[in-house]
Amino acid sequence: MSAPPKPVPLTTVESTETSDSGAQTLTLSVGPQHSGSGHMRLIVEVDGDIIVNVAPDPGYVHRGIEKIIELRNIIKSIPVIERPSIIDSSNLNHAWVRSIEEIQGVEVPRRGQYLRTLLNEMNRIMSHLYWLSIYGVFLGHTTMFMWPLGDRELFIDMAEKLTGARITYSYLVPGGVRRDLPPGFAEEAVKRTEYFEKRLKEYDRIFFNNPLFTSRAKGIGVLSKEKAIELGCTGPTLRGSGVDADLRKDEPYAAYPELDFEVSTRPDGDSFSRAMVHMDEMRESCKIIRQIVKKIPAGPIRRKAPIVLPRGVAYGRVESARGECSFYLIGEGGDKPYRARYITGSYRNMAAIPAVLLGNRLADMPTAWWSIDYWPVEADR
Amino acid sequence: MVVEGSLSAQRTAQEEDPVATLAEGLSIWVGKLSDLVKRVVDTGPIRNVINWARMYSLWPVNITTACCSAEFGAASGARHDLERFGVLPIGSLRQSDLIVIEGTITKKMAKRLRMIYDQMALPRYVIAMGDCAMSGGLFHDSYSIVNGAHEFVPVDVYVPGCPPRPEALEQAIIMLQEKIRRSKVYEQG
Ligand code: SF4
Repeated sequence: MSAPPKPVPLTTVESTETSDSGAQTLTLSVGPQHSGSGHMRLIVEVDGDIIVNVAPDPGYVHRGIEKIIELRNIIKSIPVIERPSIIDSSNLNHAWVRSIEEIQGVEVPRRGQYLRTLLNEMNRIMSHLYWLSIYGVFLGHTTMFMWPLGDRELFIDMAEKLTGARITYSYLVPGGVRRDLPPGFAEEAVKRTEYFEKRLKEYDRIFFNNPLFTSRAKGIGVLSKEKAIELGCTGPTLRGSGVDADLRKDEPYAAYPELDFEVSTRPDGDSFSRAMVHMDEMRESCKIIRQIVKKIPAGPIRRKAPIVLPRGVAYGRVESARGECSFYLIGEGGDKPYRARYITGSYRNMAAIPAVLLGNRLADMPTAWWSIDYWPVEADR
Repeated sequence: MVVEGSLSAQRTAQEEDPVATLAEGLSIWVGKLSDLVKRVVDTGPIRNVINWARMYSLWPVNITTACCSAEFGAASGARHDLERFGVLPIGSLRQSDLIVIEGTITKKMAKRLRMIYDQMALPRYVIAMGDCAMSGGLFHDSYSIVNGAHEFVPVDVYVPGCPPRPEALEQAIIMLQEKIRRSKVYEQG
């Protein structure tokens, strides 16, 4: 990749620069007001309609969360920590409570661990469904916008029964979780996940086996295995390039060691593989949810943990929907951390944006770009 | 807090008034014909027709500012389906009538939002969605945000909540429609 171009004034089109080959190139500013980019801007240089240079311009949603964490006590920080990826909130919350518990030395009861895992997996499905619906918008496939958002409500309803909120749960607290399973939850979960798995087959029929999608996704936006590792990608982006890396297996936490699931990898590294990894993960998550409601042990859900962060350093990480989410936390004895470093999956996958776009046609940009599942709010924090 | 480069939050007057330009030439012999036309439009059934058309074609522009966009997405999705209120998200600024400010406005985004607002054709409406867009909300003490959308654009309806439920957004749309229905044709925007 050559050096990123100088940022151009907002929404300006320039045709001044000359690329190395001597041909005229055009610099486009895509976003932030653009149906295919959301809360960020991509500065794209095209030669004809081939993308020759890409510079992401993030920071439109930078809210200084790392600083805010230093100003709040560790419980009040939980809602703030969830906000970057509101559609995947409990996974981010899990990374936070794990790092706190590591410093405090608090053991979470087994039932609490299972409940955490349950909400995490439900969140993973919801997040992937949201991603899929936006993918539908990008490709002009209205059915694929409506269906996933409709089916997402299945899980939102369940999560609402469990936690009391639609998408922002604050359910995981140091020492355990806030609430126990509501009555009748297990049957409901089995029914809904089984229905949802049938729906996934229909998704395959209408979208993933549809030439409309395959011809625009297969072989587009290829990220090779070596490149993905070199750029430090994570999550479905990394697994879509054929690397078998999943913290749920590699560094098992919560109830994952006792559950039976597979890590999906696809070797090709194109947009299609990354999309299929998302689909496989939703299937696996359904399986995990059913196992959890069957195997969940009795007992307490929460152990008393102090609202104090003792002197010490901890590193807690989990596999969120978009990849590894981690906290590096330094406590100094008060109820606030001295410093918290917050790294999310999207932040790490940002490096892959130029890599998947370079050399493709401008018309393929939405397919390749969104297949990374880059959520700007999460990346900017 | 002052956003650098933002214009004042005053509504710009209706400079592009087709009736006024038309009536200008005639006003030599009819005096204040444009005033007459305005009065006729605003009292008669014409006003009802114009307001009816404006109420049910509120097209929001595609701009997302922060995490409330997840609930905006859910509201436009299958269960809540904002399109039955005539709300159809659209990419083109010139055809849109509505900005739904979905959450936290950072200083970097505030300039762009004002730019987008200025580019939209009259009449235009603004819904500030979420606590962040109302007053800074959860991030009120952050160094990089603007505490409330009213600091740089006029807001028609506020939707409290963090994030507001899709039902709350639906209610906001209905409130905005009611506001349009009651208002005068020449005083909107
Ligand atoms: S109001 Fe809440 S959900 Fe909405 S943008 Fe602010 S923090 Fe996010």
